Amino acid sequence: MNILVPVKSVIDVELNIRVRDGRVVEDGMNYVLNKWDENAVEAALVLKESQGGEVTVVTVGPDRSGEALRKTLAMGADKAVHVNDPATEGSDAHGFAKILAKVAARGAYDLIITGKQAQDTDMGGTGPLLAAMLDLPLVAGVIAIEPQGAGKLGIRRLGQFGTEVIELALPALITASDSLNEPRLASLRGIMQAKKKPMEVLKVADLGLSAGDVGSAGARIQVVEYLPPPARSAGKKFEGDEAETTAQVMNLLTNEAKIFA
Amino acid sequence: MSKILVVADHKDGEVRKPTLELLSHTRGAGLSTDALLIGQNVKGLADTLAGHGAGTVYVADDASLQYFSADTYAAAVADAAAKAQATQIWISVSETGKALGPTVAGRMDAAFVGDAQGLEIEGDNVTVLRPAMATKVMQKVRFAKAGVKVITVRSGAFDVQPADAKPANVVALPAPNSNGRVVVKSLEQEESGEIDLGDANIVVSVGRGVKGPDGVELVRPLAKRLGAGFGASRAVVDSGWMPYNAQVGQTGRVVTPDVYFAIGVSGAIQHLAGMSGSKLIVAVNKDPDAPIFSVADYGIVGDLFKVVPLLIEEVGKVKK
Repeated sequence: MNILVPVKSVIDVELNIRVRDGRVVEDGMNYVLNKWDENAVEAALVLKESQGGEVTVVTVGPDRSGEALRKTLAMGADKAVHVNDPATEGSDAHGFAKILAKVAARGAYDLIITGKQAQDTDMGGTGPLLAAMLDLPLVAGVIAIEPQGAGKLGIRRLGQFGTEVIELALPALITASDSLNEPRLASLRGIMQAKKKPMEVLKVADLGLSAGDVGSAGARIQVVEYLPPPARSAGKKFEGDEAETTAQVMNLLTNEAKIFA
Repeated sequence: MSKILVVADHKDGEVRKPTLELLSHTRGAGLSTDALLIGQNVKGLADTLAGHGAGTVYVADDASLQYFSADTYAAAVADAAAKAQATQIWISVSETGKALGPTVAGRMDAAFVGDAQGLEIEGDNVTVLRPAMATKVMQKVRFAKAGVKVITVRSGAFDVQPADAKPANVVALPAPNSNGRVVVKSLEQEESGEIDLGDANIVVSVGRGVKGPDGVELVRPLAKRLGAGFGASRAVVDSGWMPYNAQVGQTGRVVTPDVYFAIGVSGAIQHLAGMSGSKLIVAVNKDPDAPIFSVADYGIVGDLFKVVPLLIEEVGKVKK
């Protein structure tokens, strides 16, 4: 089974994020492999281990995105494609999907796995847009995968009204939930081997796209401004004997917040 | 001419609140709006949508649409949008909406913005306010090109205005071609009979601190007494102590109730992103440095196994 896993290098949202003059302050920020993409890579590696085949990872982004790719190679992916072109700067999900569709068309993949969303935009658009552009069936938010042979996968998805038990025909695109698996840590051996694995670097022109198709020029949506989130006023915290603290909070719930009124 | 198509969200023979919020807003603002029902045995809901202001109600009602599939549902939306000449498609955020929105945009070659928390609309000039980076920032997003706009909207963006049902102008759609690529064999429904998390005014959630199924059962009566939805953190559902559809967070449900009780929830950013929009947050945790206290209005640093029985008793006194 040949699998393509698009990944993204994102700002580390575990850190404190500051907004100044309508922009996110990027000075001193870390960039990391998107959390849900780790689940996608792990799922691909598990499938490869039982079904054979090859796992290709791809990213679109500047030099620093190469680190995210190296991390996935160290986890066990076989080869990487890095679309590294200043023209992609400012791409929206549509632009990323357009580029990824071209990359996908260069190989014969049975399955594409993306993370359910990227931690920077939290939009969840790229995977489904890519599926639609490639006319692949989509299952989003996958929590279990079971190979069924004959070009089919048994899938469980966290749906709106319960867990959907799905039979999916390949080729297909799925997006990974964090409940799907626990991503492995790269071993020292994996990290050493990753350095020898093929990493192809491409420009958008290599994919038959022009600069106007992607990046800010091609974007259908544009972030005009970043704002800090609505501030929450400082809370009241009670420590000590549980009977007392519980009574204090019940008093506030009843008389200040009036939730029982 | 601007025309909005609202894709209706429904469950158990009722139109869900997020859809009524969207229609209430377009009706109040005088925006020309149609609605779309997709599912099995859903025709009967058309009059409710008409009462809330849908000019035409498109109905794709077929056994093949019993369960959600991005393939078939997106085909129905594209069909309705073409017939309605919609310039905007609004879908409420849910596990269905999150998959459907960008799929529709991809199929229709339209623009997509997900997770709107606020909308500024002037005809077809739309600016979206939305959270990003685990709700550590808000973004103002505008559409950069002409063309159809697909927007998923979070519950709570607008208020519901009551309206009586009225006879709908119904246009039946043919069942989309089911190509059999995604077959939903069954739906494992868990936790029936309890209040839906998205509809609940109060939500009680449990985290790893409850330590196991016994701890979950200790807290459940608190949710019952409060008439609250009962949720959980990822650690709890991944351990199998609570069903997946109880999960609150970026994976799972984003909830914005009037009151949110976090019991033994440490407050990983993915959880905070799913509940920090709640109006009032109450946290119980034995770790005074737990991140949940950074968003809590009222916090109890203590042993939940002592606090929860006391809370249940006290709530019983005020809520007869």
